[in-house]
Amino acid sequence: MMSLGGLAFVSPWLLVGLAALPVLWWLLRLTPPAPKRIPFPAIRLLFGLLPKEETPHRTPWWLILLRLAIAALLIVGLSHPLWNAAQPFPRSGPLLLVLDDGWASGPAWGERQAFGQELIAEADREKRGVILLTTAPRPNGQLRPVSLLSADQAAAQLAALQPSPWPVDRAKALELLEAADFAKDLNTVWLADGLADMKAENDRALFDGLSKRGQVTVMDDGPGAVPILLQEPELRPQGITLRAARTVAGAPQRINVRVLDRENHSLGLVTVDFKAPELTATANVDLPIELRSRASQLVLEGGQSAGSIALLDDSGGRKPIGVVTDNPTLGSQPLLGELYYIQRALAPNNEVRIGDLATLTAQPISMIILPDQTALGPDQRAILQKWVERGGMLVRFAGERLSATPDDTLVPARLRQGDRILGGALSWAQPTTLDAFPSSSPFAGLPVPKDIHVQRQVLAEPAIDLGSKTWARLADGTPLVTGAKTGQGTLVLFHVSANAEWSDLALSGLFVQMLDRLVDLAAGAPAGDVDAQKPLPPVAMLDGFGRLAGVPAGVLPISGKDLQDAKIGPQHPPGFYGESKARLALNLSGAVKTLKPLGLAAQPLTRAHTVDFKPWLLAAAFLLLIGDLLIALALRGLLVRPTVRGAAAGTAAMLFAVMLTASPQARAAEESDAQIIAATQAAHLAYVRTGAPEVDATSRAGLKGLTEVLLQRTSADVGDPVGVDLETDDLTFYPLLYWPISGSQKQPSPAAVDRLNKYLAGGGLIFFDTADQNVSGLSGSVGPGAMRLQELTQGMDIPPLVPVPADHVLTRAFYLLKDFPGRWIGGSLWVESANSRINDGVSTVVVGSNDYASAWAIDDYGQPLYPVTPGGERQREMAYRFGVNLVMYSMTGNYKSDQVHVPAILERLGQ
Amino acid sequence: MTLAITADRAKAESAAIAGRLPPLLIAAERIAATVTQGVHGRRRVGSGDVFWQHRPYYPGDELKQLDWRQSAKSDKIYLRQMEWSAAQTVYLWCDLSPSMDYASRKELPTKAERSMVLLLALSSVLSRAGERVALMGDPEPPISGRAVAERLADRLQHRTQVAQRSTGDNAENERSLPPPVLLPAHAHAVMISDFLSPIDEFRGLLERFAARDVRGHLLQVLDPAEVAMPFLGRVRFRGMEREGELLMSRVESIRDQYLNKLDAHREELRTLARHAGWSFSTHATDAPGAPALLALYQWLAADKRFRA
Repeated sequence: MMSLGGLAFVSPWLLVGLAALPVLWWLLRLTPPAPKRIPFPAIRLLFGLLPKEETPHRTPWWLILLRLAIAALLIVGLSHPLWNAAQPFPRSGPLLLVLDDGWASGPAWGERQAFGQELIAEADREKRGVILLTTAPRPNGQLRPVSLLSADQAAAQLAALQPSPWPVDRAKALELLEAADFAKDLNTVWLADGLADMKAENDRALFDGLSKRGQVTVMDDGPGAVPILLQEPELRPQGITLRAARTVAGAPQRINVRVLDRENHSLGLVTVDFKAPELTATANVDLPIELRSRASQLVLEGGQSAGSIALLDDSGGRKPIGVVTDNPTLGSQPLLGELYYIQRALAPNNEVRIGDLATLTAQPISMIILPDQTALGPDQRAILQKWVERGGMLVRFAGERLSATPDDTLVPARLRQGDRILGGALSWAQPTTLDAFPSSSPFAGLPVPKDIHVQRQVLAEPAIDLGSKTWARLADGTPLVTGAKTGQGTLVLFHVSANAEWSDLALSGLFVQMLDRLVDLAAGAPAGDVDAQKPLPPVAMLDGFGRLAGVPAGVLPISGKDLQDAKIGPQHPPGFYGESKARLALNLSGAVKTLKPLGLAAQPLTRAHTVDFKPWLLAAAFLLLIGDLLIALALRGLLVRPTVRGAAAGTAAMLFAVMLTASPQARAAEESDAQIIAATQAAHLAYVRTGAPEVDATSRAGLKGLTEVLLQRTSADVGDPVGVDLETDDLTFYPLLYWPISGSQKQPSPAAVDRLNKYLAGGGLIFFDTADQNVSGLSGSVGPGAMRLQELTQGMDIPPLVPVPADHVLTRAFYLLKDFPGRWIGGSLWVESANSRINDGVSTVVVGSNDYASAWAIDDYGQPLYPVTPGGERQREMAYRFGVNLVMYSMTGNYKSDQVHVPAILERLGQ
Repeated sequence: MTLAITADRAKAESAAIAGRLPPLLIAAERIAATVTQGVHGRRRVGSGDVFWQHRPYYPGDELKQLDWRQSAKSDKIYLRQMEWSAAQTVYLWCDLSPSMDYASRKELPTKAERSMVLLLALSSVLSRAGERVALMGDPEPPISGRAVAERLADRLQHRTQVAQRSTGDNAENERSLPPPVLLPAHAHAVMISDFLSPIDEFRGLLERFAARDVRGHLLQVLDPAEVAMPFLGRVRFRGMEREGELLMSRVESIRDQYLNKLDAHREELRTLARHAGWSFSTHATDAPGAPALLALYQWLAADKRFRA
C-alpha cells in the first residue's frame, strides 16, 4: 500500500500503466477509425476518381481523449485508491475483534458495529481472517463460540449482533480464548464498553491474555460517553426517590428522566443533577398520589441501555381485595348472589379474599368491597371508617338494606330514603340506560354499551357537590356511581346492586372494566406480603437498548424470594415478573454492584470513514466505454440516425427517471392540489360523467342553468358545474352529485363504489335521475332507467327509500313546493325513510325520474335547450324551484325542519 | 427482394398521382387538343368519327355512306367520308435492376418505386386519352381502356416475381437495359431508368430504335444522394450490381470530380438521345412525381406524330 496524504493505493504498481498512455495516444492517432459502409448504385462513376490530397482520415481528437480517459480511469481504478484508508494491521495473523456487548454498549452500538465493519473490511482488503469474540453471555448462558471466519462471514455475524441487557463476563471470554488454539500473531482490537468487570482483575487478565497472542488495541466510546445507571428507585410516601450513578466524576452533569405508566404514557419529567465531584445523584419524583400509583418506568432520556431504565413494581405492590361477607354461601349463589358477580369480575386478574371484616382488616388489603347483604354493627362500621380514613378504598353496592337505612354515613353522598323503580308495573318511566362517563371520573373513556338498563337505584340527596362526586350517571342525570375522598381513603358507592336484580350492569363487561379501574385507583398494599416461594413468570423483558419487549427464549421464572438479589443474566434479564396485573420489577442495578471505569488505557473509538474509489472509477470507465462503443458504431454508420436520437433520448429519459423518480408524482400532486383548490374556492354542483356525450352535455347545461338560478335568487355561492369521473376523481368537495342514469354507463369499479359509500357516509348527497318518466309514466311499470339504476348502484350503501312525504324538508328547504316536476311530470321522488338517528335524518340519496337536467338546461345565450312536457313556463319554473330546494337541502340538511321555522312557514301558508 | 412489394405500392401511389390528373389534362389540352382526344386523324379518308369531306356519288358506292341531307340541298348526290383515325401505341419500360432498389434515406422512395409510380401514372394518363399502352419486352399485346394501370401493375409484379425466382447474370431484372425486342416502326417509347450503366451499351440500343423510327423519351431517375454526393469522411462504397467495392478515405475531396463526371454522363446521354430524335429529362426521388409526369406528358403532346 502506498499513501499520498489521505489518498492510498492498494496496488500502486499498477499506476505504472499510466506511463503507457502517450503510446496509446500515438497508436490511436495513427489508426484511422473503421470506414462507414455505404451501398451506392452510382459507384461506376466513382471508379477512377483520384482524391486530390491523400491525407488519411484521422481519429478525431475528442475520441482519442475519450479513449485515453477510459484507459486512465481503468488503470487508476485497478490500482484501488482509498481515501482515509485505515492503517494496515501490524501483525501477520488474522484480526481478533473483541466486542463488549453487555448492557453498557447499548448507547453507541451502531457506531461500534460500523467501526467493527470497517475493521473487517480492512482485514478483507489485506486478505486476513477474522475472529469475533463477544464478552456477554448469550441467552443459553454461554458465550458465542469463537473460530476463524472469513471476512464476509464475520461481517454478517457482526451485523446480526445485538447488545444484551446484562453485564459482560470477561472471565469466561478469557477461558474461551485460552481454550481456542490461535496463532500468537493476532491483531487484536478490543471495542470495550468502558466499564470495569465485577472483579476488576478479570479485565487485566483478559488484556494480558490478548497481549500474549499479539498486539492489542483497546478502544472505547471516549471520555465524553459515560454510561449512566439508574439505581433501584425507592418508594416513599412522599414520592419516588430516584438515584443515578455514573462512572466518571469531575464535571457537573444534568440528565432528564421521564416517568412513564404501564402504557408508556408520560407522567412527568425529572431532572437529575450530578455535582462535579460526585458519582451519584438523587432526585425526588414529586407526583400526585394517583399518578404515583400509576408510575411504572423511569426512563433516562437518550439512554438506550438496560441501565438507563428503572422499573417499578405495579402500583407499588400487589392489591389484594377483600370482600366482606357474613354469609359466604348465600352470597356466592350462582347468578343470584352478589359475591358471585364480584368474584367473577375480579378474580381472574386480582387476588380476592372473602371473609368477615375483622379478618380482612387485619391483613394488608388495598380495597374492601361491601355488598349490600352484609350487615355491619356500629363498631364494625367504626373499624371500617377508620380503615378507609387511613387510606383504604371501600366500594359499596346498594340494595334493599341500604335503601332502607338512608342515614348510613358510610357513603360518598347522602341518600334519600327508599329507592327509585323505573319501568315497573306502576311506573311510567322506562328502564334507563347509562350516560357517557364524565371526563373527571375514573371511568372516563370506557365505552358505554347501549344495552345496559337500570331498573332500580338509590337516589342521592341533591347537593352542591353531588356533581363532582358523581363518577357515573344515568341518561336522566341521576348518579349511578358516586365516590368521595374520606381522609386518605376513598368511598365508592354503586347505586345499584351487585347482582342482576336492580340492573344489567353486573352482567356486562363494563362492570369488569369499572372494577378494574377502581382497583387501579386503590393504593397498593405494602410489600413484604409476597408469597416468597411462588415462582413469578416473566412478563416483559428489557432488551439491550432499554426497550420493554416480549419474553425471549431461555428466560426462567424467578421466585419472589430470589427477586431481590437475583443474578441478572440470560436466565433472568431485567424486566417485569409476576402476574400481568401485579408485576414485580427486576432491575439491572441490582446486579451491578460496582460501577467503575475500565482500568485500561483505551483510544477513543473514531471511525476513519474510508472511501473506496475503485468501484466508482471502474463504473465510470465502463460507462465511458459504452459511450465509446456507441460513438464507434455511429462513426461506422451502423447506427441509423433517428435511432441514435431515439437511443440518446431514451437514455436521457431513463437517467431523468432514475434521478427524479419522485418528480412525476410531485407533479401529479401539484395538479391534484390545483384541482382541490379550484374545487374548494366555491361550492360546485357536480354531475357524474356517464361516458355518453349527449347525457353529459345535458347534465352540464342543466347544472349550469341551475347554477345561474341559484346565483340570481339565493345566497348560495356556487361556481361552475363540475363533471366528475367516479373512477378517478375525489368526490369529497361536492355537496351534491347529480347522477343521470344512462344505459351506456359502465359499472363502477369496487374502488369507485367504496369511494361513493364514503362520500355518502361523509355527508354527501347523490341525486339519481332515471329520466325515464316519459316511458314509465305511460306504461306505469318500472322504467329502463330505474332498472339500470339498480344495476349501477350494486354494492352501494343505499338505505331503503320511500316516496317523499308531504312534509319533507325538500318541500320547504327554500321554496314551498307540492310536487317536483322536471322535463316530465308525475314521476315520484324517492328519499331515505326518515330516521333521525342516522345523518340527522337527512337523506343521502334522492331518486327522481323527471329528467331534471333537461328542464334546467340552458344554452350559451341563457335560452332553455329542451321543451318541457306537458309544457308551460310554470313547469320549468317549478323545476328550477325544486333544483334550488335540492341544493339547499344538500347544503343545509334538516335546518328547515327545525320547529323554529314553523311559524314563518305557517304564516306563508296563510293558515 | 422488395420489388414485388413495391409494385403493389406503386399501383396505389400511381392511382394517387393519376388522381391529380384532371388539371394535368387541361394543361395538356392547351398544348395539343388532339392528345386528349386520343384517336389521331391520319389526314386521309378512312374509318373514323370525324367528318373529312363530301364526295360526289359514283355508282358502286355503298348507299349507306350517302349523306342524304347534303344531297337534298342540291342536285348532286354526295357521300359523307370520315377521316381515317387510329390510336397510337406507347411502349413503356422501367428499370428494375438492383441498382434501382436504392433509397439513401428512409423517408425517400427507392428509385424503382418512383419509376414504377411514374410508369403507371403515365399509362393511366395515356389510357384515359385513348392511347394503347404496352410494356416493352412484354409478350402481352398493347392494351387500352379503363383498367390499364391496374393491369400494367399486375404485369410489373409478374415481372418482378419472375426476376425474383431467376437469379443469375442473365436474369431480366439484372439488366439495366430494355430487352432487345423489335418495336413496330414509328412506335413511341418511354424508358425510365437511372441510366448509370456504361453509355456504350446504351448507344447501340438507341441506334437500333432510331433506325426503325421509334421515337421516345428517356427519364433518368436518381436518388438525391447520387445527385449531390453528400457523404463525408472515410467511406467504403459498395456497388449494388456486383461492381465491387471502393474505399474513399475522404469522400468530400472527390465530390466535385464526381459531380463533374455525373454531369458529363448526363450530357452524353442527352446528346445521344438528341441524335436519335429522342428527348431526355431527369428526376430526383426527393422531388414530387407529378412534375416529372407532366414533363413526360408535355413531350408526348409536343411530338408531332401524335398530332399527325
